[in-house]
Amino acid sequence: MSSLKADTPFQHTGRNVAQLMQTLLYALLPGIAASLWFFGFGILINIVIAITFAVLAESAMLRLRNRDIRAHLSDRSALVTALLFAIAIPPGSPWWLVALGILFSIVIAKHLYGGLGQNPFNPAMCGYAMLLLAFPIEMTGWHIPNEVINGPLTADALGIPITTAEREFLSPLGWNGFKQALLLAFPFAASSATDVKEFVDGLALATPLIEFKMAGKSALLAARESGASLFARDSETAWEIINISYLLGGLFLLYRKVISWHIPLAIISTIFLLAATFYAPGSVAIYGTPYLHLFGSATMIGAFFIATDPVSAATTRPGKLVYGIIIGASIYSIRVWGSYLDSIAFAVLFGNFCAPFLDHYCRPRIFGHGLRGKPRPTDGTIKP
Amino acid sequence: MSALKQFAAKYFGEDPVFARRTFGGIQPPTFKEHSLRSRIMSSPIPPQLTIPIGPGNSGEISLLVGIGERVLKYQKLAVMTFYAEGRSEVPVHAPTSGVIISIEDSVVADHSQQQQRCITLASDGHDEAKKIEGQPDYVRLGSAGIVSKIRDAGIIGMGGAGFPTADKLAGCGDAGPEFLIINAAECEPYITADEALLRERADSVVMGAKILKQASAARRCIFAIEDTKPDAIAALQQALKEQLSIAAFCELVLIPSKYPAGSERQLIQCVTGIEVTTGLHPTENGVLMHNVGTAYAVYEAIVNGKPCISRFTTLCGQALKTPKNFEVLIGTATDYLFELCGIEPTNKQKSILGGSLMGNELTSDKAVICKTTNCLIAASANEIPASAPEKACIRCGFCADACPSRLLPQQLLAFSRTSDTTQLLEHGLFDCIDCGACDYVCPSHIPLVSTFKESKTLIENHEQSLLRSDYWQHRFQFRQYRIKKEKDQVLSRKKEVPEQPVQIAEQAPNTQNNEADIISKEQASRDIAAAVARVKARRDEKNK
Repeated sequence: MSSLKADTPFQHTGRNVAQLMQTLLYALLPGIAASLWFFGFGILINIVIAITFAVLAESAMLRLRNRDIRAHLSDRSALVTALLFAIAIPPGSPWWLVALGILFSIVIAKHLYGGLGQNPFNPAMCGYAMLLLAFPIEMTGWHIPNEVINGPLTADALGIPITTAEREFLSPLGWNGFKQALLLAFPFAASSATDVKEFVDGLALATPLIEFKMAGKSALLAARESGASLFARDSETAWEIINISYLLGGLFLLYRKVISWHIPLAIISTIFLLAATFYAPGSVAIYGTPYLHLFGSATMIGAFFIATDPVSAATTRPGKLVYGIIIGASIYSIRVWGSYLDSIAFAVLFGNFCAPFLDHYCRPRIFGHGLRGKPRPTDGTIKP
Repeated sequence: MSALKQFAAKYFGEDPVFARRTFGGIQPPTFKEHSLRSRIMSSPIPPQLTIPIGPGNSGEISLLVGIGERVLKYQKLAVMTFYAEGRSEVPVHAPTSGVIISIEDSVVADHSQQQQRCITLASDGHDEAKKIEGQPDYVRLGSAGIVSKIRDAGIIGMGGAGFPTADKLAGCGDAGPEFLIINAAECEPYITADEALLRERADSVVMGAKILKQASAARRCIFAIEDTKPDAIAALQQALKEQLSIAAFCELVLIPSKYPAGSERQLIQCVTGIEVTTGLHPTENGVLMHNVGTAYAVYEAIVNGKPCISRFTTLCGQALKTPKNFEVLIGTATDYLFELCGIEPTNKQKSILGGSLMGNELTSDKAVICKTTNCLIAASANEIPASAPEKACIRCGFCADACPSRLLPQQLLAFSRTSDTTQLLEHGLFDCIDCGACDYVCPSHIPLVSTFKESKTLIENHEQSLLRSDYWQHRFQFRQYRIKKEKDQVLSRKKEVPEQPVQIAEQAPNTQNNEADIISKEQASRDIAAAVARVKARRDEKNK
């Protein structure tokens, strides 16, 4: 049993950065699994490409900076960046898009500022924002294999009886879905004319913010009322279930005390309050319900996983609350009054801008000091 | 709940004592059970005792004995008079009878582990004691009498700070503080000296607290103890019940177990709600705090008349076969105590002085127990794993959540690395109490407290050098001024030269000056004659 450590103070919790990152990776798993279930292999291919390039870029940069590669890679921060980035990128994006983004994240947003702990901006979101500005068309389509949405759904709608084998064939998790996802990521691999045709035909576009579908009522509720399965791939509950999965992951992080409650709570309540304020039943199409804003988009992953990146966020408790409010307000404003469909990246980057300022001005009162940081004036009287 | 109680206190006139929530803190595993398995053992008299008097540079030492002299137990050996403001003298006494064999510097097991002037005493084994006289009816002594007895007994704060108890009592003033808190929290892992003392001698501690209350004229006396020490709490409750004859004289508060709950200012806030202002002494905010060890020493000094010649020290760690608490004579060498606990020297990796969080590595096994040595840990190789490498700060803020002073260690670290003194001061560097809670939780294994200590030293040195340079600049400027003034005077005198003849001409008829001169000359010659006569008379007396 080891209970002490070698230098003063001689005791330690035993928690280290690698463990924190590991917990974060575990917490992302439910959300990734849900995405995989609903949208097919696109997200997995994104993750593989992103992790490959992230590890390569991280090793190269560590080498250039004369750092111990193994020691620094083992902190798993590059993995976390890669995973968060891969989740944010639309599934079915071509490989070069993912590679470019993650290279920008690791090389420019992280290492050129001095590596882990020194980057003023969230690296994953830097890469995402760069891609969004440089490749708006590639980045705004949510490409998923045709079968996912149109396969069983169309068949059912037309009343064509399909066998289990066919359903398997049409499933996004089937071999065909995998092939299509691969083709989307690596278009150059399409060798024959049929493949290309399949490839072109196999695109469906779904926006992350399924505004109109969810405008009136939660899709989950609707699906339950109509007796449809919540996990059926043809249902419209996908985004809600994915968001709930990320919410569960986030609660797990809170439970394990990897993140504090301040930032997620501030973001979620700000978005909720703003949405509730501006939402009017007559104008649903414009502003959307509070529920839509919380569960119809990437709000949960943003609030629990992206905005809480400790390096680039505010670190004081009051600072974290203000930081969350700024991000929440930005998310809502950009979504509703801006021209981008989803806005986590810009909102978080804007919050990162404010973080050093918040850390300086939102400091807790030091024990034994007055509010302004000066020692409290005293007349020597007793104040029990 | 606490808000409710406060509300009740406000409207029903009573003011119950309860533990309030304090900020930050950590809950490390405490490993206290090992040393609590056996009872307190009075350590046998070692063949040689090296009794520390005090650091020679912080005060004046007056020796009352010489080398080769035989001394009796309880005999006063030396007195240390401190230069520091608010501290007066602290005497040291012989822990046993024997012969003084040397007086020289030696390493002392206190937090700085520096060389101190020590008296080495070879015990003769008879343990022959000087006659001492106790005063069980302490009320008759009066406040001043108690304080002077405590001063005479050489009692200093047994909790670790080592401030002379008599001076602390005298610093309260005549009005007396509102609260006297007896600190039995003992929140640091491994240390069990106070707990063991309460478990076995709670009566004496309560008596000591009563004496302290009498001496300080405090209105209320509160015992604060962590709620995870059931045996000590039971003993204390029993003792308080028995001594309840003096109506409602003491209250007992159970505080939640958390490190550093026993830190002076944190405990005051927890127990009384008073947040002691930075830069002020707690007594200035109406609170006086003493350790249970101090209370026991006071009891011994007043009721039994015994000066402070021993203390309670915990010995623990996996390299010891029988970890336990000792009532150990001041001046015992640490390796002698380790031997008593059955140390396995091959197994010992490191000795730690103090608890696991605020302790330091014991640099010498020959170091001697002083009045503030509360714990010694002999850690085995298994107990200490290889140290984890330091990583970059990821600003997770765990340290800020753990800091009991509500500081922001992550910010202080950044400013320490850039030596940004202004920001360090603004972020409260000097409010850091070195508790090590931030180090404990840091996932990057950054040595935060040592970094802050370095910064503090740098800033203090810088300030001192500024003061020194101010002083020398002032002296230099004054010298320049003096030289210039002298030159000016010479110049002005030279200017006045042509006018002098006129003045002399004017003064010439005035003979009074000359007369005065003559008178003074006569006077001088008379004085000289008288002096010569006196010297002669004295010489004659001597010759007779």
